[in-house]
Amino acid sequence: MSGESVPLALPLARLATDTCEATTLYREMRKPLLRYLVCLGLTADEAQDVVQDTFVGLHQHLAAGGPQKNIGGWLFRVAHNAARDRQNSYQRRHSAPLDMEVEASMVDEATPEQAVLEKEKFRRLRNAVRLLTDAERECLLLRAGGLRYREIAEILGMATSTVGDTVERAIKKMAENCNV
Amino acid sequence: MCDYSRKLIAWIDRELPESEADELERHVAVCADCREQLVSFESASGAFNAYCEATFAVATRRKLPRWLPAAGVAAGIAAAAAIAAVLMWPRQHVALVPPGVPPAAEVPHTPIKQSQRQYASVRPGRSHNNQRASATEASARASHVQNISSFPAELPIQIAIPGDAMFPPGAVPPGMSFTAELTISADGSAERLGLRPRLAGFERRANQP
Repeated sequence: MSGESVPLALPLARLATDTCEATTLYREMRKPLLRYLVCLGLTADEAQDVVQDTFVGLHQHLAAGGPQKNIGGWLFRVAHNAARDRQNSYQRRHSAPLDMEVEASMVDEATPEQAVLEKEKFRRLRNAVRLLTDAERECLLLRAGGLRYREIAEILGMATSTVGDTVERAIKKMAENCNV
Repeated sequence: MCDYSRKLIAWIDRELPESEADELERHVAVCADCREQLVSFESASGAFNAYCEATFAVATRRKLPRWLPAAGVAAGIAAAAAIAAVLMWPRQHVALVPPGVPPAAEVPHTPIKQSQRQYASVRPGRSHNNQRASATEASARASHVQNISSFPAELPIQIAIPGDAMFPPGAVPPGMSFTAELTISADGSAERLGLRPRLAGFERRANQP
């Protein structure tokens, strides 16, 4: 029995090390991933599920000896694909049920005049975001998550130069449509 | 439209090679149009990020469990009970007297001694009667001693506790606070602890005759 336990000890020790790394990554990456998924249109519960599945996938990836380079990009890519798989949730993004709540929450945070101005500003912003294409919105969301064009290109399966063009087009659209 | 304006967003994102970035930086310093566009792009970028943050904040706020406010109240009550238990716990008397000083020196406490003297002056008139009288005297003495011990040598210690510190926001009316009154007995232990609610604006009226 003791002879059998020796070969098992090595992979277990390796897994423990990688689990520590995954825990640190979880603390750092959980919020950016959740924000990305919620802004894609998933509910908070669905986003939590996807993030959890993503980190289970990371654990398996590390246990299988997968490359540890650019784990942040890897996490976004897996989460993005999982969100795509949830087609029903993903298609809800244009209904934007949260927008009404965001608008309502502005009443508590300002005087009535400020609230009206903020609401008007938010409506313009919301309309500007709705005018973006899927690719433009995804590029801006990943960019807001701190990813480089190269990483965004890898996640979305496009060329780096295309990401640059898409980001530029999206920002110009936003600037035109929300008059900021 | 300036030719450099196409590279402004990549420059903001630090995606340009260093040589191009330096060239653009020098250009922006002298081109008002590019500077104006730069401000516009940065504002648009900031607005999009703010939109994401607001959406995310509302989504996570909506997920707060409904039992959370009740748990806050329970935690406040438990904290108040724990403070009361600690303050009311009988403490062993510790004489703060240097070892060389005789024990009699640690007793003097002016208000209590005065009360004891008053009691001694009353006692002779009742002491030489029958058994019942002495029993009455004993009970009177006991109650008087109790009165002496509970008589505040000094004013009670008052601790003002804002309502928000004990209860979650909205659980108590605005302006509501509590005053904990702690009476310390002669032996140094906590004698009495009272908790009185106070509502701002009503206190003066209540104290007037």
